[in-house]
Amino acid sequence: MIRLERASVTYPGGVQALRELTLEIPDGQMLVIVGLSGAGKSTLIRAINGLVPLTGGDLTIDGRSVVRASTRELREIRSKIGMIFQTFNLVRRTSVLNNVLMGRLHDAGTLRSLLGAYRAEDVELAMRALERVGIVDKAYVRASNLSGGQQQRVGIARALAQEPKIILADEPVASLDPPTSHVVMRDLQRINRELGITTIVNLHFLDLARRYGDRMIGMRGGELVYDGTGEAADEQVFRDIYGRSLTADDVLEAQAAV
Amino acid sequence: MTATAPAAPGPVARPARAPRSPWLPVALVLVVAATWWAADGIGFDVVELIASLGRANRIVSEAFPPNWGFVDQTIRPLIETFQMAVIATVIGCGIGLPVAMLASGISNPNRPLLWIDRSVLAVVRAVPDIMYALIFVSALSVGPLPGVLALILFNIGVIGKLLSETIDGIDPGPLEAATAAGGSRLLVNRWAVLPQVLPNYVAYALYSFELNIRASAVIGLVGAGGLGQLLQTQRRFFHYDNQLMIIVELFALVVVIEMISVWLRRRLV
Repeated sequence: MIRLERASVTYPGGVQALRELTLEIPDGQMLVIVGLSGAGKSTLIRAINGLVPLTGGDLTIDGRSVVRASTRELREIRSKIGMIFQTFNLVRRTSVLNNVLMGRLHDAGTLRSLLGAYRAEDVELAMRALERVGIVDKAYVRASNLSGGQQQRVGIARALAQEPKIILADEPVASLDPPTSHVVMRDLQRINRELGITTIVNLHFLDLARRYGDRMIGMRGGELVYDGTGEAADEQVFRDIYGRSLTADDVLEAQAAV
Repeated sequence: MTATAPAAPGPVARPARAPRSPWLPVALVLVVAATWWAADGIGFDVVELIASLGRANRIVSEAFPPNWGFVDQTIRPLIETFQMAVIATVIGCGIGLPVAMLASGISNPNRPLLWIDRSVLAVVRAVPDIMYALIFVSALSVGPLPGVLALILFNIGVIGKLLSETIDGIDPGPLEAATAAGGSRLLVNRWAVLPQVLPNYVAYALYSFELNIRASAVIGLVGAGGLGQLLQTQRRFFHYDNQLMIIVELFALVVVIEMISVWLRRRLV
């Protein structure tokens, strides 16, 4: 269980990205976060694995505080949290397999990883992760030679190779075309259901959020303005989140039609 | 979108051009003044220069043609120069890699360590290679060993500077991904930084190898081994034709290395 208690983040420039946010995310949930850019979605996601440190309040994962963790403890906490990015964040110059093996850095042993002499188990874990997203045949291809959708699947495989308890996805489909977006979202949903991995996804498009989330939260100005199911979110809820009525810009299908 | 808005009746007012900086003429005057001051200070005189070309002419005519018979005496120093460059490049670039990683804010977030590494690097680069050679020759002895040490320091400076600036410009995304996966700083740099800069690193190493061949002529003048040391003895006895032979050989060696490194770089990128 992830628990945020009055969690706040104020950036050095003075921007308050999170304002005393209190939230509980039970194990195995597929949670979707929606909100405008700058609403604090990315900050919330990055606070969970400590990439962005809280400036106030507390954040615990299974009772362990991320805020008070030492560097070593933080690495250990992070090793059980996979992360997926909008721009994939792959090393484009190296092979798909090397990218996925990045998910094994914490457990593979310093000397072994340094020399690239990974244990057979680690390589097998990486291969199984690639199998799960359907691109194991690309293991020795250079990452830059893959399409956007394939690159994002490598990103998912890298997260899976960690054997994570939690997956954080920061706008995972924002750089993809609509059909590919659905493929990636379905991959995430399947992983959540089959492996029981708590999955937290930032999304820009409301129709995707309603379709794939067990639970949807809306953020605005660093605060929680909605917490419930996607179906229950009505026009008033959208106004609370977006400060205006729903338009075609907010749904993926309408975008696809343009 | 096929329908376009009807054209406005008159042309829309164009924005005014930003006023020309008043500093341009000032800067020009300053450059001219500085040149005048410098030329006057060292007695730089174009007329004098042309007159003295006559003297140079004598040396050039003595140097031509190069003494081809001198070649067999140059083979050993030539090989020595090459060997010095090989060792200095391998060791210098080996040390240069971690030094460069410590000198970039991308791969080294530790501010005090970053500052220390950059300061040391600045000092290493501030001392010219011939100065290192002088120091090591007087501390150790005449020969290739002090030359190699001088070149190693020189290479650390070159790689540290060029590679750290390359690291500054890489995509930080993969670093975030490797950090998020729980990787230690060392491993993040190994898997998210090194693969991104590897082609540049190899190119810089080849470049510093080339620099080492050339530098060996200069540091040899103070007794640090290689072709330069031979060049110095020939200079002392006014054997201009022998010196020209050495220069021709250095030139050939540099050109060959340049050709190999261009070929290698093209295969790498």
